[in-house]
Amino acid sequence: MGKRITIDPITRIEGHLKIEVEVENGKVKNAWSSGTMARGFEALLLGKDPRDASYVTSRFCGVCFSVHQMASVRALDAAFGAQVPWGGRLLRNLVMGAEYIYDHMVHFYHLSALDYIDIMAIANYTGKDRELNKVKEKIVGLVQRGDTFPLTPRYKPDEFSVKDPDVVISAVKHYLDALKMQIKAKNMGVIFGGRAPHYQSIVVGGFTQYPDINQVARFRSMLDELAAFVNEVYIPDVVAFGTGPLLPLAKAGIGGGHRNYLSYGSFEMDEAGKKLLFKPGVIFGLDGTKGKRVEPFNPEKITESIRYSWYKEDKPKHPYEGAQVFDLGRSDAYSFVKAPRYDNVPMEVGPLARGVVDQDPTLLGLMKDYGVKPGAVARHAARAIETKKVVDAMYHWCDELTAAMTRPGFKIHDTAHWEPPAEGEGAGFFEPPRGALGHWIRIKDHKIASYQAVVPSTWNASPRDERGIRGQYEESLIGVPVPDPENPINVVRVIRSFDPCLACAVHLIDPKTNEIRKFMVE
Amino acid sequence: MTSEERGNISGDPEKRILILGVGNLLLGDEGVGVHVARKMMEMDFPPQVRVVEGGTDGFGLMHVLLEADRLILIDAVKGGGPPGSIYRFEIEDCPPFPDIFKTSVHQISILEVINLSGLIGSTPRTTIIGVEPKCLEMGMELSPEIEAKIPKVIQLIREEVVLSLGQFPEKRSVEVSST
Repeated sequence: MGKRITIDPITRIEGHLKIEVEVENGKVKNAWSSGTMARGFEALLLGKDPRDASYVTSRFCGVCFSVHQMASVRALDAAFGAQVPWGGRLLRNLVMGAEYIYDHMVHFYHLSALDYIDIMAIANYTGKDRELNKVKEKIVGLVQRGDTFPLTPRYKPDEFSVKDPDVVISAVKHYLDALKMQIKAKNMGVIFGGRAPHYQSIVVGGFTQYPDINQVARFRSMLDELAAFVNEVYIPDVVAFGTGPLLPLAKAGIGGGHRNYLSYGSFEMDEAGKKLLFKPGVIFGLDGTKGKRVEPFNPEKITESIRYSWYKEDKPKHPYEGAQVFDLGRSDAYSFVKAPRYDNVPMEVGPLARGVVDQDPTLLGLMKDYGVKPGAVARHAARAIETKKVVDAMYHWCDELTAAMTRPGFKIHDTAHWEPPAEGEGAGFFEPPRGALGHWIRIKDHKIASYQAVVPSTWNASPRDERGIRGQYEESLIGVPVPDPENPINVVRVIRSFDPCLACAVHLIDPKTNEIRKFMVE
Repeated sequence: MTSEERGNISGDPEKRILILGVGNLLLGDEGVGVHVARKMMEMDFPPQVRVVEGGTDGFGLMHVLLEADRLILIDAVKGGGPPGSIYRFEIEDCPPFPDIFKTSVHQISILEVINLSGLIGSTPRTTIIGVEPKCLEMGMELSPEIEAKIPKVIQLIREEVVLSLGQFPEKRSVEVSST
């Protein structure tokens, strides 16, 4: 029996994902991934006007709010029979594109990079660069005041951590630059989204607000700035890390897991909707970077197992049939996360899945050239590479939108299908930054009769299923080196590479001290 | 600055004030900040006062934070008092990060974002007006005892605004959008 380590929470600050690993001879032998918080927000929707769904579901998560809105309106479009005009689809794409840039950049610089660098090396920088010395002064000042949080990694730097002061200081400078860039990306989404968080303009049938030419110009100029950052800073940083200090991790394919990949496909590139930026598809057991066939995606093959989850249900069900009734008495259960399966098999979703399903030449080329196997480092690379892909597509959508706006009869909404039908059902599939997201709705008597969302982190973080097959997080941890049980930094690197997002809920301030009580005013 | 030093503030009519209500609307009293912000969006304030409903966003709120000289944050707070207790404290009244702020949102909370925004700009002076929740179960309505405290919370916020501007806000204008 190996030594058990529990990491709770695994997210940088606080979340609701608990990872337990059993370590034997310096390697992970077994792993369990638990979502420790009950969800089931879908129950709130029952009996409501279906048009409320996109607004309510956008509150499921505080970080990926708009993507739920998007999956929800796509389910509603299908249930209402709405044909969204090209203008409406373009505006949705542009808002979601801004979301991609924001999300991926923040994930790399602010949520992940600190697992790979030894930030204290900054003090050893002896270069003459004025900007970098300002960064050094700022960080050293914080250290002296004992206020480096949240810059301080939770785990001790190890042999893979970057310690070269020149590299570390420039990474930290980019961390600060990316803080400014993410603000731009947020503001860009608001140009068409109307407000943030929780955009107002994405509704069933299309979009609510006509764009004007000045807005498109403003959007484009912000896109120029972000594109420059992505191409000149973000991608070079990821490539330099992945093919430099992290190359041993990359080549070993640490964190690869089952190597089954699923992408629902997303982002129409033409009015007919024939060409997608991300193609839908499924890969079973990718070995290396080529030679595996990409199978077509069939939504009927999705089921959710609750064998090891605290839910009351008997057998795996399609999301249309699934419900949210908790059963905390189940003896083997260890997670509030269900176990989605495709054709009874666990899948990885997210940037790496999209990249390999798409057979993206940049990603596959990079993996081939450096001998990178699918795993934690490949996930960071896939994320950076697809950010550029989205940026390039956004220029195309801006051009398409500008052209469409000048045509007579320019439309952004299918107003003929605004009223909820008496009966109907629809599935909404979308590929948010974190991966395959599906919403399923059934309408009866013009109201919501059932609603179910299967979120990306559910795919990745799922517990075992009926057959005892581990979820993707769990499988990806098997064999991960943990030389020091007190410092399981590689476990954290692997899980974080998926961009875990399970917290999606409680936000209250809990100062864990009675001190605050003295400030009671009533 | 801590609460003890509050008496030393002098008002400045040009100060840009942000009233930011945060929380999850789907978890009962956890959404109290959102409910307060929504009510205040309907009220009259001078143009330098902005009301934002921030939901459970973290990083995404950095841009509004950096545009403010003064922040009044409204959130559910577990302070140990009976449900419906109202607290008013300065961010500095809390012991330093990280172990005291048990928050969730993904990976980073609003208080950490306030801290982080100091790395690229100046962090606004921050007062937190908190309400002790009763029920954090799923639901979109507040408990009656919490709902009943909203007028008092709004009154406290208005007092903070007056204190910060050094005058009673008279100019009529309504801020409805958040960004």
